[in-house]
Amino acid sequence: MREGARGWLGIAGVLAIGLVLTFALTERYHHRILTLVFLWAAMGLAWNIISGYAGQISFGHQAFFGIGAYTTVLLAAKLKLTPWLGMFAGAGVAMLAAVLIGTPTFRLAGIYFGLATLAYPLIFRIVMDYLGFQEVAIPMVRDHPILFMQFEDPRAFDLLALALLAATLVLSRLIEGSRLGYSLRAIKENEQAALAMGVDAFRCKMAAYALSAAPAALAGAIYAHAILFVVTPEAVFGVLVIVQTLVVCLVGGVGTLWGPVIGAAIMIPVSEILDSTVGDRLPGIQGVVYGAALMAIMMFAPEGLFWRLRRRRPVSTPSAAAAEAAPADLESTSAAAPARPGSVLLDVRGVSKAFLGLQALSEISFDVRQGEVLGIIGPNGAGKTTLFNVLNGFLLAEDGEVRWEGEAITGLPPHAVCRRGVGRTFQVVRFFPHLTVHENVIVGAFAHGGTPAAAAALARAALARVGLGARGDVLPPGLTTLELRLMELARCLATRPRLVLLDEPLAGLSKDGVEIMSAMIRRVRADGVTVVIIEHTVQALVKIADRLVVLDHGRRLAEGAPGDVTRDPAVIEAYLGKRWLARHAATHAADLRP
Amino acid sequence: MHASELAQYVVTGLLVGGVYALMSIGLALIFGVMRVVNFAQGDFMMLGMYLTYFYAMSFHVDPLLGALLTLPPFFLLGLLVHRVFLARVTGGGDPNREMDAQLILTLGLSLVITNATTMILSPMPRGINAPYASRAFAAGPLLLNQARSYAFLMALALAAAMYALLTRTDLGRALRAAADDPEAAGYQGIDVRVMHGTAFGLGIALVAAAGGLLATYHPIEPNVAVNFIVLMFVAVVLGGLGSIPGAFVGGLVIGLVQSLTLLLLPLQLQNVGVFVTFLLVLYVRPQGLFGRRARAV
Amino acid sequence: MRPLTPPVAFFLACLLVSPLALWPAPAPAVDDVKIALVAPLSGRWARQGQLKKMGAEMAIEEINSQGGIKALGGAKIVLREADAGDSVEKAVSAAQRVLTREKISAGIGSWLSSFTLGVTEVAERLQVPWLTLSYADNITERGFKYTFQTSPVSSVQAEQALDLVAEIGKKNNKPIKKAALVGDNTAATVFFFKPLREKLLAAKGIELVADEVWTPPLADATSIVQKLRATQPDIVFYGATNFPDSIQVLQKIKEFGVKTAIQGVGAWLVTPEYVKTIGKETLDSIQTVVAAHPMKGQEELVKKFKQRTGEPFMTQDPLCTYAHVWLIKEAAEQAKSADPKAIRDALAKIDLTSGPAASSLYPNRIKFDERGRRVAASPIIVQWQDGEPYTVVPTAVATRPIALHK
Repeated sequence: MREGARGWLGIAGVLAIGLVLTFALTERYHHRILTLVFLWAAMGLAWNIISGYAGQISFGHQAFFGIGAYTTVLLAAKLKLTPWLGMFAGAGVAMLAAVLIGTPTFRLAGIYFGLATLAYPLIFRIVMDYLGFQEVAIPMVRDHPILFMQFEDPRAFDLLALALLAATLVLSRLIEGSRLGYSLRAIKENEQAALAMGVDAFRCKMAAYALSAAPAALAGAIYAHAILFVVTPEAVFGVLVIVQTLVVCLVGGVGTLWGPVIGAAIMIPVSEILDSTVGDRLPGIQGVVYGAALMAIMMFAPEGLFWRLRRRRPVSTPSAAAAEAAPADLESTSAAAPARPGSVLLDVRGVSKAFLGLQALSEISFDVRQGEVLGIIGPNGAGKTTLFNVLNGFLLAEDGEVRWEGEAITGLPPHAVCRRGVGRTFQVVRFFPHLTVHENVIVGAFAHGGTPAAAAALARAALARVGLGARGDVLPPGLTTLELRLMELARCLATRPRLVLLDEPLAGLSKDGVEIMSAMIRRVRADGVTVVIIEHTVQALVKIADRLVVLDHGRRLAEGAPGDVTRDPAVIEAYLGKRWLARHAATHAADLRP
Repeated sequence: MHASELAQYVVTGLLVGGVYALMSIGLALIFGVMRVVNFAQGDFMMLGMYLTYFYAMSFHVDPLLGALLTLPPFFLLGLLVHRVFLARVTGGGDPNREMDAQLILTLGLSLVITNATTMILSPMPRGINAPYASRAFAAGPLLLNQARSYAFLMALALAAAMYALLTRTDLGRALRAAADDPEAAGYQGIDVRVMHGTAFGLGIALVAAAGGLLATYHPIEPNVAVNFIVLMFVAVVLGGLGSIPGAFVGGLVIGLVQSLTLLLLPLQLQNVGVFVTFLLVLYVRPQGLFGRRARAV
Repeated sequence: MRPLTPPVAFFLACLLVSPLALWPAPAPAVDDVKIALVAPLSGRWARQGQLKKMGAEMAIEEINSQGGIKALGGAKIVLREADAGDSVEKAVSAAQRVLTREKISAGIGSWLSSFTLGVTEVAERLQVPWLTLSYADNITERGFKYTFQTSPVSSVQAEQALDLVAEIGKKNNKPIKKAALVGDNTAATVFFFKPLREKLLAAKGIELVADEVWTPPLADATSIVQKLRATQPDIVFYGATNFPDSIQVLQKIKEFGVKTAIQGVGAWLVTPEYVKTIGKETLDSIQTVVAAHPMKGQEELVKKFKQRTGEPFMTQDPLCTYAHVWLIKEAAEQAKSADPKAIRDALAKIDLTSGPAASSLYPNRIKFDERGRRVAASPIIVQWQDGEPYTVVPTAVATRPIALHK
């Protein structure tokens, strides 16, 4: 793919420039700056894996940086272990620490996670001081210094740091294009939707966290040898480390390979230049200018320089005509196959759910048979969406059981339910705003694993199926309501469900939109997928549903063929009230349908 | 261990915690209403200390009063800083991207303030040699440091005043509305930008006053923020982000934990107790002590 | 139109930025002798760095006005200061920067022992002799050839200080039976307390009754002072290098009415800001052991310093830096060269007993052993009296007699 090749080319480009600079610069001090740029870019990329891609902003990544530095240096000082091996030991310890830290901490959401991670390096700092490691000087080795990562030639450190940068770039790129990458971005954009699409959010976050810890630890180890010469808790566990990381990433741009690279390439030389030109002569001014520069950049490019510069590029929009043409070919599959009462797929028995005293669901029981379209209707507040949330795994029922294909699935998390073949769309479309339509659907396509290429193909097929084949490269905010719903449907279908739970798919659509959507639902059923639909307006539903279940105040009010249900006085009363019923019952056969 | 010894630990912890509490309320207000993580909060506190010092040296105003006198100028300063800098990157609607930008913005601001102060006012530490800083009230066997006791009472008073403002006045209601749901608040005719500016102004004013109280017993230097900023954040998160009483309690809890940790751990590990408690509270109650659990599906 | 692709942007950024890095420093006269000073000039420890700079500048002005370095035809000394900031990274960067930009003959710095450790690594690799007043033992335990430590090391200071105070106690019929250690866990304090705790106190039959060490910043001094009140030590060895922590402890001691002798470890206890912050009454008779302090005979020097800088008195940091600059001058005279290697060799052989450098460092002799430590270096005990610190021990160089603790 074009995008993919450009990424690798870019990495090669950065490497090439790095090498050129390594051999072109002559002054030692300039080499130090170059090494710092590479190291902080690598650290930024490491942070980006968990905080940029997955959106779990971490304020504690310096914990791994410090672990890498201390492990390597202590092993060398106490056990005479060469840092070339020691640094990988450090990376291993850091990954273990990531798992230990992540396991309890990922239960926290958003900024709570970030602030909780802050506690760990603070604790490590104090403990290191307490253990007597306030100043661990790296012993200068005079024979075989290279064995202990001590180089006479500063270019060696540049190359070492560049190698780490390259490795981290490659790691990031691989993640980006992989299933994990899509999952992480989906989690960041809309975690609930991601869960419903089969993404095991906890596992993914842990994987990302562990993967981000390793390069951070390696960066710490190299930093200790190339830059510090003496390791103090403040220098490697201190807040300046995370500040530098944040500056590099947020100035450059979060969630992209190039952000940390750009951020490091600009901010570190700026800082050093300020130090060396005005800082020595007028101490303190460099802090003022640097701080002002940060403020100015953030006001100019709050999303980061990379995204800001990218915005200037004209975004190609496929012609609107193509979008209109697409739904036309759905007419061919008009008549759906008549409902064949098949085996029971989903069996809901006595499900109850209460929220702080409000009984949202009361002993709901019904079943869903293979190949049918079941409609769930009821007035507002009846508990329809709550029911779906229970079926889906977002909520835990207090009572009752849900069986899917004979297996009890009550209490399974949403991603597990999805992987068993139950798909879901939402009342308000939950799209991933910064992913293109195609990428949105790919997230679903990964539900059962598979290679990125296979997932991409599956996604394209799903999009074609709903008629959005030409809109793949558009970002969701540029879609109409109908297109959004179709996209969500395509994403759901990409998870290869045997049954889909559609929550008010017709809401907000025009008359034409409703027709198109209804046709799509029939098509889905024709493809062999069982459909359960929640709808508020009965009118549209009676045309596509085989059976209706009516809920009111959390109870099942009625069940049966659409015609019967809409004439059921209890149902009419629930919708329109006693008085309407009384007024119309006498005149003609009251019916919910107009 | 004697009961009075234990009581002394508790009292000491509470007195220390009182000023942490006041420092943290400002941060909580700013975060609660604006969702801004203000890295520069400690530096505004430092400026408040300097202003209080100035009042004391030039006009012989007792620092306890001086702390109150920092409220108006810092409120205005907060409004100004918000209008000129923060308003550009917040209140736009995309909280994800905004969070990133304002982190760095406030970080840059912190650097500017600290370094400019070092250059203009010199790094030499200054102190208000308040006589009550080295005297104590005797309450039975307990000794309560006078400076810290006064600071505690004032902190309590200011926090109560803030709470009253938030819960009983129209302005307070408007602030809370803007915090809860900016869009809906807008529909109600509340200018969310103005609310943000007001919240920031109040938050800065409160922390400056806290600085003034701190100055009664703590030396004043440009880098004083670094000793307190972490504790401020911990207090706010512990109390529940966005909860004012929560931040106050959070500050008290930190002071208490710092003190009581000494019963279990060596003095060197005093703050480990704080951070471990912090983590435990978050794990058991992720929304903090007073925070509202937001769980929307 | 191809947009700005990331690699191109990266390259351009580097390109745009690199010329600035080559910004030249102002060109001094060709045969000036350049001395580097790497110290914290901004950030948390800026005050200490500035004090050092004051001492260096005073020495340089003296030397240049007296004709410069005679052996080099009257070459003037020029100071090249580099800001160590408040992190090891910045300090080491500063050293790299200043030592590679121009030919530096020798360097001084960097106050914080971790900074000094890092900076001397750079100096060792670049083969530039480096003078430091840091006390930590480990600075000269690395087998370095270019590091010269003029202060007595912490372990030696601990031993000698203990001897001195025990002496004083015995002479005044207040023998020391119980001692307390109160301080933070910064390296300098740790190196001082360790030998006391492990053997020295026991060897003198002194009981260690309180051992209160904290990680800065200190939240509250109540528990520490309560312990002191309960155990009533005769002397408290005091190592609170962080100013706010130190103030807290001293205020609390006054608040609780604890009566004990306070023996500081380090020059951080004798800065002017103490007077303004807790008042001279509280400070009276508090002593501290330092590497250097103006001694008897240095009155002119002190007066000059006060006039130049407006500081109320002269302390260890400017005095040592002053001595260091004069020492480098002497080494250059003896080496008849400004070449760093030659100066290093001169320092290794030097044996001064007179001159401004030697008269500033007790016992007025500058000679270094193979590790780079000053031979027979001995600490000085300084005592606060009437709001000013005076050298009190050894009595031979005292500027005031020691005042007995009440």
